[in-house]
Amino acid sequence: MSVPSLKRIRQVPRHLLVCEKGHARHPRSRHAAHVWDHAYNCRVSFLIPECGLLPEVLKSTIADFGEYYLVRNLSVHELVSHEFIDAFVKKGSCYALTYNTKIDQDNTAALLPNAITIDLTDSSFHPDSKKHNRVLWALKDKKPLEFDILLAWYHTGAEESTVMSYFSKHQIQALKPKITFSTIRDLQCPVLDSNELEGKPEESCSTEELFEWLGAVWNQVSLDNKSSSFLSTYCCPQPNTVVEKAFLCTITGFIIPEKITQLLEQLCCYFGEPKLAYWLTLTVHGFADSPVSWRESEHGFHKGGENLYNFVIFRNLDYWLQMAVGSYDDCPP
Amino acid sequence: MARAEPPAASFERRVLRSAAEYHYLRVRLELPDGVTRPTVAQFKQLVVSALRELHGEVGAALPVDVLTYEEKTVSAILRVISSGLVRLWSALTLLGFYQNRRCAFRVLQTSPFLLALAGNSRDLVLD
Repeated sequence: MSVPSLKRIRQVPRHLLVCEKGHARHPRSRHAAHVWDHAYNCRVSFLIPECGLLPEVLKSTIADFGEYYLVRNLSVHELVSHEFIDAFVKKGSCYALTYNTKIDQDNTAALLPNAITIDLTDSSFHPDSKKHNRVLWALKDKKPLEFDILLAWYHTGAEESTVMSYFSKHQIQALKPKITFSTIRDLQCPVLDSNELEGKPEESCSTEELFEWLGAVWNQVSLDNKSSSFLSTYCCPQPNTVVEKAFLCTITGFIIPEKITQLLEQLCCYFGEPKLAYWLTLTVHGFADSPVSWRESEHGFHKGGENLYNFVIFRNLDYWLQMAVGSYDDCPP
Repeated sequence: MARAEPPAASFERRVLRSAAEYHYLRVRLELPDGVTRPTVAQFKQLVVSALRELHGEVGAALPVDVLTYEEKTVSAILRVISSGLVRLWSALTLLGFYQNRRCAFRVLQTSPFLLALAGNSRDLVLD
């Protein structure tokens, strides 16, 4: 076998893991910006060691995640119509993403609140402008593109959401995110030092070890195998401690950054009172078929469509942030 | 005396490019009706024999961990060292028989990040 073939057999798809550390209360901390920039999120989960009962303020933050909508057979040109722009885009933050389209096979469309490529808030995009007419022609002419679209609208005004009535001529469903809680007993947790991203032998685990351990917990992988085991040799990284209980919560649906930011802030406030836990984690998975990952960075699906991030918030409000993307993604900012 | 909190962490950023030590695959074995579903040990043995069939004894020695296994659906999460991903995936793809009956491995999801396998928007059913 020739050398180039041997090399190819050991190749892996390119992937990136960006690890940052900082302090959440630092005036120039960018931790919140990373949340704001990641628009399309399908799953948010957090893990709090040494916690059996969720504080009321966190319960109400989760309960307040609000609704999102699934609109069937919506033409894309309706999202650039001036009625829609005036009703929603200009009055709040509007997010939309095609549902059940695979980005490596199908057409996909998405709407960001700051409106990329076709800037809906641009002053030159008024009803009689050449730009507006050209965009509408492109989307309407021949066979208008139609999709099932997930939609969420965040506004700070007092009025009720009018999304249901606006799309009343279409098949529209209002949906609430699905929330599940669970508790794990006697969980082995890695020992971490917020100042040591790479870990320190015998003293603390690295950010990569933590990231894998978290994947093991959320996938219900056994953490206690022997190195001689036939089935699996995976075990919790060393050094680790056993916590009596840990609280896990998962929220799935079409979740917007505004809500995740509120949750992150409340998780930071969790350490406002003395707690046994040294740290907690917040993990957010992006949609595998979203056309963008962070900001307007193009996202693709090669062997997998991963674009996820994870916060570790420490007792003293230091944080670690891991952002993971696959082959067809730019490096997260 | 209360332990003093360590000083706030200074900002640091590291970018790790294609540095994952392991790759993870969520797989399912499709079997015809009437075939007894394998136990986890039999499943692992099947993976090893698939590697042996395509890549020989050296291939069979590739360490593969069965991190999770669900007998009801015959699905599992496998972990393999990153340089072994192509060998494992190709071996699973080309495995055609289990107990002399036709079978097929389906790779449902793969990632260098185990945490990515905890959420798959393609499995999100809203209606």
